Amino acid sequence: MANTKLIAAVVIVIIVVAASVAVWQLMGPSEPTIKIGLVAPYQIPVGQDMDRAARMAVKEINDAGGIYVADLDDYLKIELLIADTGDTTDTAAALTAVTRVIDQGADLLIGGFSSGATLADQVIAIEERVPFIITGASSHYVTRRGFLASDHPLYIGDAEGMSYMFHYCTTVFHYSETVAHFFAEAMKPLLDNEYGFSASRKLRLAVIYRDDAYGQGVWDATEHFIETDNLPIEIVAEVSYPLTTTTFQAELTTIKAANPDAVYVVDFTTNTATIYRQGQSDVGLNTVYIAVECCEEPEFYTALGEWGDHQLLESKFASYAGPPFYLPMMDTYVADYQAEYDTIPGMMGADTYDAFYIAKEAIENAGTLEKSAVRDAIEDTDMEQMLIITESGRIEFSTEEDSYHEIAPFTFVEQLIYDETIGECRPKVIWPTTAPGVGTIKQADFVLPENYEPGS
Amino acid sequence: MFTKDIISWIKQSTKSTKFYIFVTLISFSLVIPLVLRDSLSIRVLTLMAIFTIYASSWNLLASSGQGSLGHAAFLGVGGFTSALLALNLGIPPIIGIFIGGVVSAGIGFLIGLTCVRLKAWFLGMVTFGFSIIAETLVSQFDDFTHGILGFRTAPLASSGLPFYYLAVLIATLCIAIIYYIMKSKMGLAFRAIHQNQSESKMIGINTAKYKLYAFAISTFFAGLAGGLYAHFLRYIRVEIFTPANSFEPLMMSVIGGLGTIEGPIIGSIILVAIDSYLPNIDKFLPIVHGIFVGPYLRLLGLGIFLVIVVIFLPKGVSSLLRKMYNYFFTDTKKANNIERK
Amino acid sequence: MSLEVNSNFLAPPFLYFFNLRINLLFILVMNIRGKLTEYTVEFLMIDSSTLILTIMWGAAIGCIYVLLATGLNLIFGVMKLVNFAHGELLMIGAYMGFTVITALGVNVYIAVFLSMGLTALIGIAVERLTFRRVLGAEKLNEIFVSLGLILIFDNIAVLLWGDKSKRLISPFENMSIMLGEASIRVDWLIAILFVIVILIALLFLIKKTKLGMAMRATSQKGQTSMLMGINIEHIYIFTFALGAALAGAAGVLYGIIFPFNPYIGALPTIKAFAIIILGGLGSIPGAIIGGLLYGIAEQTAAITLGSIWRDAVAFSVLIIVLVLRPEGLFGKRGE
Repeated sequence: MANTKLIAAVVIVIIVVAASVAVWQLMGPSEPTIKIGLVAPYQIPVGQDMDRAARMAVKEINDAGGIYVADLDDYLKIELLIADTGDTTDTAAALTAVTRVIDQGADLLIGGFSSGATLADQVIAIEERVPFIITGASSHYVTRRGFLASDHPLYIGDAEGMSYMFHYCTTVFHYSETVAHFFAEAMKPLLDNEYGFSASRKLRLAVIYRDDAYGQGVWDATEHFIETDNLPIEIVAEVSYPLTTTTFQAELTTIKAANPDAVYVVDFTTNTATIYRQGQSDVGLNTVYIAVECCEEPEFYTALGEWGDHQLLESKFASYAGPPFYLPMMDTYVADYQAEYDTIPGMMGADTYDAFYIAKEAIENAGTLEKSAVRDAIEDTDMEQMLIITESGRIEFSTEEDSYHEIAPFTFVEQLIYDETIGECRPKVIWPTTAPGVGTIKQADFVLPENYEPGS
Repeated sequence: MFTKDIISWIKQSTKSTKFYIFVTLISFSLVIPLVLRDSLSIRVLTLMAIFTIYASSWNLLASSGQGSLGHAAFLGVGGFTSALLALNLGIPPIIGIFIGGVVSAGIGFLIGLTCVRLKAWFLGMVTFGFSIIAETLVSQFDDFTHGILGFRTAPLASSGLPFYYLAVLIATLCIAIIYYIMKSKMGLAFRAIHQNQSESKMIGINTAKYKLYAFAISTFFAGLAGGLYAHFLRYIRVEIFTPANSFEPLMMSVIGGLGTIEGPIIGSIILVAIDSYLPNIDKFLPIVHGIFVGPYLRLLGLGIFLVIVVIFLPKGVSSLLRKMYNYFFTDTKKANNIERK
Repeated sequence: MSLEVNSNFLAPPFLYFFNLRINLLFILVMNIRGKLTEYTVEFLMIDSSTLILTIMWGAAIGCIYVLLATGLNLIFGVMKLVNFAHGELLMIGAYMGFTVITALGVNVYIAVFLSMGLTALIGIAVERLTFRRVLGAEKLNEIFVSLGLILIFDNIAVLLWGDKSKRLISPFENMSIMLGEASIRVDWLIAILFVIVILIALLFLIKKTKLGMAMRATSQKGQTSMLMGINIEHIYIFTFALGAALAGAAGVLYGIIFPFNPYIGALPTIKAFAIIILGGLGSIPGAIIGGLLYGIAEQTAAITLGSIWRDAVAFSVLIIVLVLRPEGLFGKRGE
């Protein structure tokens, strides 16, 4: 008898679940909307930051009336579709998520985080001809793979489909170029001056990176810029470690043995903070550490505590270096974001936020939701720069010389100063002095940390 | 001779209800994509077919008392072999996936050699270790494997329905072969070893030999599944070795019914369906304290569901279905008679 | 080029043969990757003081693994239960410590004990609600339950405490003691001290008290001990609570040394498993020595072969040990 009851119970549960899901499915909004899919790794903090920024942009645009579509002679509201790509390791989940939102009728996709996942899931958008503004993959292949040699393992022959891809994000080349030039142009003169080194002495740089597409990419690009720009930098150590690593004393000891003048740390928030801390407190590697711009997230500052004092961070969106900020727009954005979500925005959200306004502008210019027209309109985007500073001061995707659509973001270097009252570091922009379209961004001079010891 | 066997087998099987259930299921799987039509559903169904092979391969190994915790190693080896053969040598994927299976079986055989002496947990950890080593090697020899960034795999069949039908065909063949193996003397030996290794040794079963067989057969199918998986996703990267992929077939087999033929099939259908369709409820979920709770609530719900299922149905969902089957298809009088006896 | 380096690689001559082999492997790897450049040579000049320090770091991180592995082994020894969600109790322990510190404003090292108590309570709930009900059935069902528990704990932690990293700030945050050329943080030393004290207390409990005797009896012969009047259910609850308390302590110590988030549990679990397999299932000395060995092997591999190989080498060591001794270093033969 117990069995019959159990069976009955299970059947009832299944029916109730199925019915409620069916009812939920049917309860969709009936009025026409512009559907924008946010492709984000919701299960890690950056994905949540992208989500918050996207919701804020959608709310602002909708509250202001929506997007005017000339074809329909009507203002349409944006409906946010969620494409949860999981935690970036699951390729199948990423593909399923993108397929889902395209099935739900997404007019446009925004987001994408992790190059590996994006290179896999963008193919769905390419095949379905859905414009995709990629705001989070650091590999330049996401837009250039259509223009590679045809035997390249990432090559996609579909040039028409590739034209629907837009890269609104810094690539590994942007990071490395700024960092390499910072060391050559700002740090080397300072060291030469301070310690009386000869001008011919090259700056001794050590690179420590996570062993994945991201870390490898930054490492390769750093090597590339030092060589092609003929910078006075010598790589004295190159250490990579598996993603499962949590203690870095062995790696840092190896680096210490090489006597570097500075260490370039290529990892995300928590590990970077651990490297800063263990390097100084455990290994006695008292040097200058610089982190990649992906660390401009609230989590980094919490995890770092006082161990970031006078250390460096590359950035493209300095949400902690104010208020007042170098961009007036950032004042309102950061304040609104904090009022809404009670946390300081990270840099991933900033790209996403901008992308929604690019989409709005493009749809209004196109006057239709027809995807190829929207693609053409995005291609012709010419807007004042928003939260992300670009090399030209305007948002425009490369089209003439290069057939792939990329922006040229501008990155800069911040120095962190420990603030005892809040128990965390706060950054100041130190290099370069000015940014295109903004004017002066520099807030303080670069000073070496108190415990700094130059390499041999 | 052989054809006669098949004819007599068919004649015999047409008499049993099981045969009709089998035929119904196959025709159902052929018709359902035509009913659902949307590309998400076809994608999900294909994933189900691929995971059916993968989970069944794991289940076969578990049936011989060897619960692997590193099956992702073989999924990955199969996937990378087939994808790299197509990339570098232009070998068509339809051949490549079988070569991938063979390479995976070869590696599985070698790993099996180190494992036959080990008991349950030791074996689990050693296989887990091999999946970590495989991951390290693939990312170390990136110049050759292109594993770190990943690469685009060659098409096995055009995406959508053709791929789905191919996957169903291969899955059906694999299940049939596994069914046949489990019915044969070898399957009997596997089960004997699973129940009691020292006793089965005593009654003259060469346990080491059969455990190795189980390893090679299981890893062949896992490699084949990996090849299909890689060509289906049209992308492969080193993340295929993630421990999550190692635990997936275990979860599918246990939730479906360990040691049964239908268990892994039911399990992969349930888990892939949950993973793929549950996110549809995201739009009804709120932001709490600046965190969008959707994914977390979903995963929490999945965890609670899994624990509840295994507490109330320790033999998996298939045991429930069997009960229902007996309830509906077995003569009640006969059942009562049995009970009385 | 490599042979020149060999001679000043490591001082103690008895290690010479070992060194040579490490060097050859290293050069081979670098050649395959086509990156045999000048600075690789500098890597190899590791002096013996660094090596000693490396071993000490390995032992320090190994200490946290030891706490986790001991709890895991205790539970396995008495209940024959394999709990893959044990690392989640470490994570919960860290958050319990965080909650206690923010709510009561206590010192982090007092929070270790409070967290042990709270995590033990959670452990009891887990044992009663889930494992109790699948115990004795198919072993794979237990793994399945623990995989479900991982999902439950991870996501509850995100919903309760948020998804961002947190840390526990100790009063000795800035203090370190100089050891030769490099320094070691006072917190590391205190953590090691705590682990030693906790392990001694545990051994006392097991060897000298009635309860410990009952636990040992249950672990050897469950059925017989039931006949002898031992309430097995109570022993199971107590054992699981004890294991959870050890994980709770490990969690707070982890939180003092590293930033933590809801997902930190997975990795230490796998390492703790490798350790108890290496040391021998159910053997507490095995867990302790295995934990220290694992920590040291990992760090040494990272510094000699290159960090990429740290996991692969650790697992290779495990596999080799198991091929030679299928029951682990300290496991009982037969059974």
